[in-house]
Amino acid sequence: MLPELLQGIDAGGFLIIQDSASYSGRHLLKSFINSALDREEAVHVLGFEVSEEELKDGLKGSPIQRLHFHNAYTDPLGWTDHPAFTVHQFCLEELTRLVKQTSHPKPATLVIDSLSWILRHLSPPDVCKTLQQFRKGGAVRAIIGLLHADMHQSGTVGSVCHLATSVITVVPVVKGDKAVAKITKRSKSGKVMQDEEIFSIKDDFTVIVQGKPSQHGPKQADPKEQETDPTANLTFNLRLSDTEREAKEKLALPFVFSKEKKTALLHSGPGSGRILYEPDANDDYDQEDPDDDLDV
Amino acid sequence: MAAPMSSVAKPSAERSPFNTTSFQKKTRSKLISIPGTRPSVQNGQLLVSTGVTSLDYLLGGGLAVGTVLLIEEDRYDSYSRMILKYFLAEGVVCRHELFVAAAQDNPDDILQELPAPILDDVAIHKPVEQPRLSCEAQNSLDAMKIAWRYQNLPKVQSALASSSRFGHYYDVSKTMEPEIRQAAKCHRFYPTEHPTQSSPTHSTMPESYSALLKSLQEVIHREGFDVAAPMSKSRNILRIGLHSLGSALWGDDLCCHDNPRNGHALTTFLYGLRALLRSSLSVAVVTVPSHLIQDRALMGSVTRLCDNAIALESFKGSERETNPLYKDYHGLLHVRQVPHLNCLASKLPDHKDLAFKLKRKQFSIERMHLPPDLSETVSRVSRGELAGAVMVASGCGSGTSGNKHLDF
Repeated sequence: MLPELLQGIDAGGFLIIQDSASYSGRHLLKSFINSALDREEAVHVLGFEVSEEELKDGLKGSPIQRLHFHNAYTDPLGWTDHPAFTVHQFCLEELTRLVKQTSHPKPATLVIDSLSWILRHLSPPDVCKTLQQFRKGGAVRAIIGLLHADMHQSGTVGSVCHLATSVITVVPVVKGDKAVAKITKRSKSGKVMQDEEIFSIKDDFTVIVQGKPSQHGPKQADPKEQETDPTANLTFNLRLSDTEREAKEKLALPFVFSKEKKTALLHSGPGSGRILYEPDANDDYDQEDPDDDLDV
Repeated sequence: MAAPMSSVAKPSAERSPFNTTSFQKKTRSKLISIPGTRPSVQNGQLLVSTGVTSLDYLLGGGLAVGTVLLIEEDRYDSYSRMILKYFLAEGVVCRHELFVAAAQDNPDDILQELPAPILDDVAIHKPVEQPRLSCEAQNSLDAMKIAWRYQNLPKVQSALASSSRFGHYYDVSKTMEPEIRQAAKCHRFYPTEHPTQSSPTHSTMPESYSALLKSLQEVIHREGFDVAAPMSKSRNILRIGLHSLGSALWGDDLCCHDNPRNGHALTTFLYGLRALLRSSLSVAVVTVPSHLIQDRALMGSVTRLCDNAIALESFKGSERETNPLYKDYHGLLHVRQVPHLNCLASKLPDHKDLAFKLKRKQFSIERMHLPPDLSETVSRVSRGELAGAVMVASGCGSGTSGNKHLDF
């Protein structure tokens, strides 16, 4: 599912890459930037955590002139006189202005690196509101955000991810530079798709999916069970040939009645009686279950 | 024994009207008759349908007018949203007025997604609910070969349904035609369209909640849904649907923090909503993303403030999705609260393990039961061992304990 997401998120989509201290999701974020640039989309990056040079490093091969970096790395809180972008400018009007000032015929993608920075400095409900309104506003085609899940309370992470149409959680694999991506994608109709994939990222930020994590447990046990057929080596015959079966079906078993008799027994006629019994307190009721020995 | 008893009891009950007794049939002529409502058989409350027949049954016939139904959303809000849409669609079909408030999507989007009603299949669902008729049984005499005496017993119903029809069925795959939808009068509330007045009063509620309450109050007064309003014109029901209340988009930090700053905002709002509803001909369905709310005690008081409360637990994304026990269902439904209306005791659902599934034409809530285990590996080992152990203890079956390993 990862390659499909890389090829483009649906219009109005909101993707969150959720990472933790044990594995950084920034490489994957760069892959998303790279593929968006390759599609000739304008990419606006709100950079809080890495400098412009660091971000553009490695993206050399791609057409970088459509990458607009809004520098919030040097002065995120507006302590100097001329901050480029501060965290307090993260509101609907400012974001729309930022995206609109560079006119592109192509749809734009907003990349937020990272949401955690914004969530630390603004109240989460405001951030959620801004994100939702900006997404619905139509100024950009899609929003991609990086979120360090271990930095926030689970409720905050849950609330932000609740707004997202797709969430990719990256978890490292024990050995190697590979990682597992747990993907949850919500379609517009309300259908939810989930997937897990092992991936690795090359130096030019192409993502290579290396299959799914092995399903441990019942699936491996299954073939073994099928191998042993208990009816294989028997000293007696368990199967019936067709003639034998015919002969068997001809045999009338005891207490099997004809259709007429069954009907008569089931539908008692108008003249027949019926036993009605209401249990009484003085009844001599046998406490023991007569069918105790039956295994049903 | 149960089946013949009940069939005998019926004629005697039918005979009783012929006897002259002093009992008079209780009439409710004073009750206002509004299309799409009916009085409850238990306490005479005026009920409306939720649009989901089995949910109506679960709630004791329907939603009582003037009450709130709380739906705890499933994780991805697919099924809770569906129920909300059913509720609104039922209002459109019954020509009730609607009030839709949502912060996540524009209320118009929700209204456009309403499922299309199936209006001409009234008869189709009925035969299923009837117990088997004798002629039907005769045709299927061959159905049971061995236990044929059980043939005429009524089938165990796992789907919850009442005998009489109330509410409509909907086709989820189609959306309602715009002509039908626009025939119903609908009020919308979208927080971003109502600019916050940013009054620096120390209110316990975020502005969006108080604006919503004000808007509701205004609609109820203006459109004459007050119970106190003059009875001059024909009355109608206002159906209120509030989507994802308490989420961050309403400006509430209930979901975001472990100990939210304005933790009483939602409860305050619900008190206000309750007071409004009790004195008006309106009924509300509120969905709350309870899986995001960290404070369980707060969630408990939110539940208490609503009259009915159900929780949906979707199997999507949980390990239960692959569990064979749940393979026929889409999720579990928990009943958190049943209404206590004008009485001390309330009707409790007779079964607590409930599951739901969403089919194209029906959202059905069913009693969960285990299917018979037909596999050959079903073991009698535990019983055998147990019996063996008992035998040994009693000292009269020394030989039997060795039999337990006898196997083909």
